[in-house]
Amino acid sequence: FKDDLSTSPELFTSMSPYDVDLPIETTEDVLFNSQFNQPKELLNDFSSVDLSFLPDITHDKKEQHLPEDGDEMQKEFDGSISGKEDRGTSVDESSLSYPGVTQPSPEASGVCPPLTPMTPMTPVTPASESSGIVPQLQNIVSTVNLACKLDLKNIALHARNAEYNPKRFAAVIMRIREPRTTALIFSSGKMVCTGAKSEEQSRLAARKYARVVQKLGFPAKFLDFKIQNMVGSCDVRFPIRLEGLVLTHQQFSSYEPELFPGLIYRMVKPRIVLLIFVSGKVVLTG
Amino acid sequence: QCLVPGIRRVQDLCKVLQLPAVFEETAVSYFQRALQHPSFHLVSLEKKELLGGCCVFVTCRQHNWPLTMGTICSLLYAKQELFASVYLSLQKELQLSVPALSLGDLLRTHLDSCRLFQPSPDVPAAFVEDKEKLLSRALQVLELAGDTWLVTGRHPVPVLTAAAFLSWQSLRPGPRLPCALRRFCRLAGLALAPPAHLRLKELLDVLLAMASRLAWLKMFELDKKTVVKHLGELLQHRVFLLKQAFCAQGEERGAA
Repeated sequence: FKDDLSTSPELFTSMSPYDVDLPIETTEDVLFNSQFNQPKELLNDFSSVDLSFLPDITHDKKEQHLPEDGDEMQKEFDGSISGKEDRGTSVDESSLSYPGVTQPSPEASGVCPPLTPMTPMTPVTPASESSGIVPQLQNIVSTVNLACKLDLKNIALHARNAEYNPKRFAAVIMRIREPRTTALIFSSGKMVCTGAKSEEQSRLAARKYARVVQKLGFPAKFLDFKIQNMVGSCDVRFPIRLEGLVLTHQQFSSYEPELFPGLIYRMVKPRIVLLIFVSGKVVLTG
Repeated sequence: QCLVPGIRRVQDLCKVLQLPAVFEETAVSYFQRALQHPSFHLVSLEKKELLGGCCVFVTCRQHNWPLTMGTICSLLYAKQELFASVYLSLQKELQLSVPALSLGDLLRTHLDSCRLFQPSPDVPAAFVEDKEKLLSRALQVLELAGDTWLVTGRHPVPVLTAAAFLSWQSLRPGPRLPCALRRFCRLAGLALAPPAHLRLKELLDVLLAMASRLAWLKMFELDKKTVVKHLGELLQHRVFLLKQAFCAQGEERGAA
């Protein structure tokens, strides 16, 4: 079977934070997550917006290369052996202050952030038809190709916050605090980045991991960054008769209380899977 | 290669479950369709063996034949998680719509194995009950449970057990009230899943809330043990009582 992230129920149970009691983000959180202070009006109507289009507007050349710092890298290598504090993965904004290094993040280039202003691909439904409920993003999964073979043992040895257990899983698991994310780094040079709360944060995190790998001496690039999955949640604030819903929406619904308390709704347009719970909480993924 | 022995397994399963002939045809056709589907080609042998069981299970559900996943898994000696993943993939790939399990029908089959309908040496005489009476009352309790949101999203079998137990107690409270749920299940030959205790507690809370709205019961200061005696009356007036007990609660909360 294709074990894709959006459909396997086992993965749902392992995503245990997404059970009934999800915290509702405050306004501040929403603004912080957006990073670019999107006007709130744009977030009000998600019902008809097709999320799959999210473009990569930044220039290609900038995309593929992280700044090369020959001298810096040498210093880092020596530093790593002596176990310097700031090495490796505990990368905060403040620690990225090596002289001569440009920050590998989109906003530094001065290019307009990709999400504003946004023209929806499909016509926006009039306000009277939309529910006014805005799903909050909980998790973004993205992938990027560092385009070079990696020595995972080497990375695990020299990087902080890195786990590597080849018997269990054939990748290095690395974590950074800001944005709080986890990366799976494979020897092929491919990388998966999970845990970000927005597309921009996911990209920023991915670039930070790539930077770490680069500082360890690998010629890492930043190719084909792609958002693979986004998970959001919301609350309709009324209890839902799941057995009734499965009756009226048979061809889209799967409700098996013997297996899982929620109803799995496979929406066709947009192609999204919703987990609908009796409490009125809804998780959207895919 | 897998087709012929697979089909035979499906047919055998239908015979063991004593299903109507048309079920066998449907299950076999689902099985054939599934094996032709690309996503089932490279699947492990273990999963392929479960595929037949899934096809039978889907067929039963589509005909509202009350069969739980638990039952099929025990017949196949299968791990529920593995069965579940094969079942969900089958449902998705073949785009099968599977209606929700009918609790009423399930109750009937569940109580078929109950040993309290005939006198026997290990069952006290006062515990023996008439099947139709028990069924009829338990169905009403189930309906009540459904109306009060105790069923949606929960595993079906524990609710049935709790409903059957309460109904049984209420039909002759004197000698039966001292009998606990665990003993009831043991004597009746019914499996006792841990959530049944929770469902029982929730049902009793609902009944107590309803009883507090019945003028002639209010003064009795009923508790979990004694409210069962009045189950018949509560069920008789349930429509009125539910409105009273739960709409008023909402208003009070709103006012506060």
